[in-house]
Amino acid sequence: MAAESSTVAGTQAGGRRDGLWLLVLWIVLSIIGCLLVLLVWGPHMPPGDQSTSAASQQFDYRVLGTIATPVVVGILLYIGWALTFWRQKPGDETDAAPLHGNITIQTTWIAGTAAIVLFLAAFGTYELIQPAGAGAGQGPQPIWKPAGTTTSSITSWTPGGSNILQIQVIGQQWAWTYRYPQFGGFETTQLMLPVGEPVQFNVTSLDVIHSFWAYTLGVKADANPGLNNVAYTTAYHTGQFQVRCDELCGIWHGSMYDTGDVLSVSAFLKWTQATKVHLAALTKILPPYALTYDPTNIPAGKINTALGLTSAGGGYYNPADPEQP
Amino acid sequence: MSLPARAATLVVAFLAVVAGVVFVVVEFIGAQPSVENYTSYASGGQVNVTMMTTPETTVTNKPDWVSYFIKNPSTGNFDHTTYFAVPANTKVNVTILGYDGCTPLRNPVWGQVAGTIGGTENVSYFNGKTFSPTQSVQTFDSWANCAVQHTFAIPTLGINVPVASPTTVAENNALCGTAPCVADNANEAKAPHAVVTFSFMTPKTPGTYRWQCFVPCGGGYLDGNGGPMSTPGYMAGEMEVQA
Repeated sequence: MAAESSTVAGTQAGGRRDGLWLLVLWIVLSIIGCLLVLLVWGPHMPPGDQSTSAASQQFDYRVLGTIATPVVVGILLYIGWALTFWRQKPGDETDAAPLHGNITIQTTWIAGTAAIVLFLAAFGTYELIQPAGAGAGQGPQPIWKPAGTTTSSITSWTPGGSNILQIQVIGQQWAWTYRYPQFGGFETTQLMLPVGEPVQFNVTSLDVIHSFWAYTLGVKADANPGLNNVAYTTAYHTGQFQVRCDELCGIWHGSMYDTGDVLSVSAFLKWTQATKVHLAALTKILPPYALTYDPTNIPAGKINTALGLTSAGGGYYNPADPEQP
Repeated sequence: MSLPARAATLVVAFLAVVAGVVFVVVEFIGAQPSVENYTSYASGGQVNVTMMTTPETTVTNKPDWVSYFIKNPSTGNFDHTTYFAVPANTKVNVTILGYDGCTPLRNPVWGQVAGTIGGTENVSYFNGKTFSPTQSVQTFDSWANCAVQHTFAIPTLGINVPVASPTTVAENNALCGTAPCVADNANEAKAPHAVVTFSFMTPKTPGTYRWQCFVPCGGGYLDGNGGPMSTPGYMAGEMEVQA
């Protein structure tokens, strides 16, 4: 810092005013860089703008990228300038000028960086709750919910109403399944959303910890066994999106992905009705809809009970078993 | 020891370590079960693939693990592998001889047949003496009934087929005790089992598709998904679709 202040403030023997040149170049390049990041690169930054949460995250990256640009430009410019003009001349073994602090530059530097960090802290905190948790899992009792929505009914849903659409995400080694309690509680391997309607994801797991990551929707929530993790989003556009598991969950973790689809509201309703009918027999044997499930406690039938199978497969974990992984 | 000798010793020791690492990677970590290639056996746009599930894997050093076996189309023997190859855009007629006993599914959703032609599977039960009439089934309730032993699922193709199990207590207590459960052992061949048949179309483009069982049948492992569930060649494998 002291070296920088001494050098920037100085004038080279040839008469070139480095400090002035650096300042002017820094301002010009920063303005150009900021405009490029904000307006050219920004709209293409991940995760895109397919949903409220994705667009919010993209906005955050644009702001952060724009703020970081002058810093990056300043560092690169300073390094480039030093390498170009401040190189040691061949045969010149004299010491450089002694360094002295520059209270003005030091104060400006500390105040500037402190202002940036404090702004980022405030901006990040605000953005965390806009919109409604920014797509991240908020645990079983979410603090922030989409404005104007309620959870007045988990057995019915009407487009355009305040009652939010509920979709349960169930992780298991190694696949995702999705349950729609407001449409009879059917469970399927397909994930469909209506465009323009707020959605509440209730994320849980039947075995180990997974992480539901609908990347281009900007939604990411850990799937924990015995716990409901709530995340929200509203899709802006129809089209496909990718779902991945983002928590190493075993040998086939890398294969645990899906392709979801954002449909028009009418197409979504048509799909739910058709799927409800198609899966009617399966829905009857599913456990009643709940926010979490315990596969080790099932209503086993007579023969299963006679065979000692009162728990679902995998419920026989015995810590004393010598054959542990 | 002279400098050249020390240098040579160092190089030899380094190469020995590298060779050891390569050997471990190739022989153990990278080892893959053999592939049963059915491609050349396809005819008229169809190919027949036969598999078997067994409650034990006595042909390996893990005899208490459950496992799939696949019939070698050339020799007719059941080999201990879960890797097979079939041609693209072909109707695959699968027969699974299910010799294991029932286990309640961790998620009953896997009791639904999906992705097969007609959306069903055909099941016939052998009680040790006679076969039951073949019936078409779409949904199994593995909690209420002793109905499912394993599943054959290819998630990326939307295929899920529950493998029916022997249905009585007596049958479940008289399961095949050696693997594979073949006719050269008269007693094992008479073990109670289910014969499950179904068909599906392979994709038009070549590729490799992972398949797995969704009954966590790795008894003794956390959530049942370790051991045979996490070891290629037992309860998971790959279907290679060839051009």
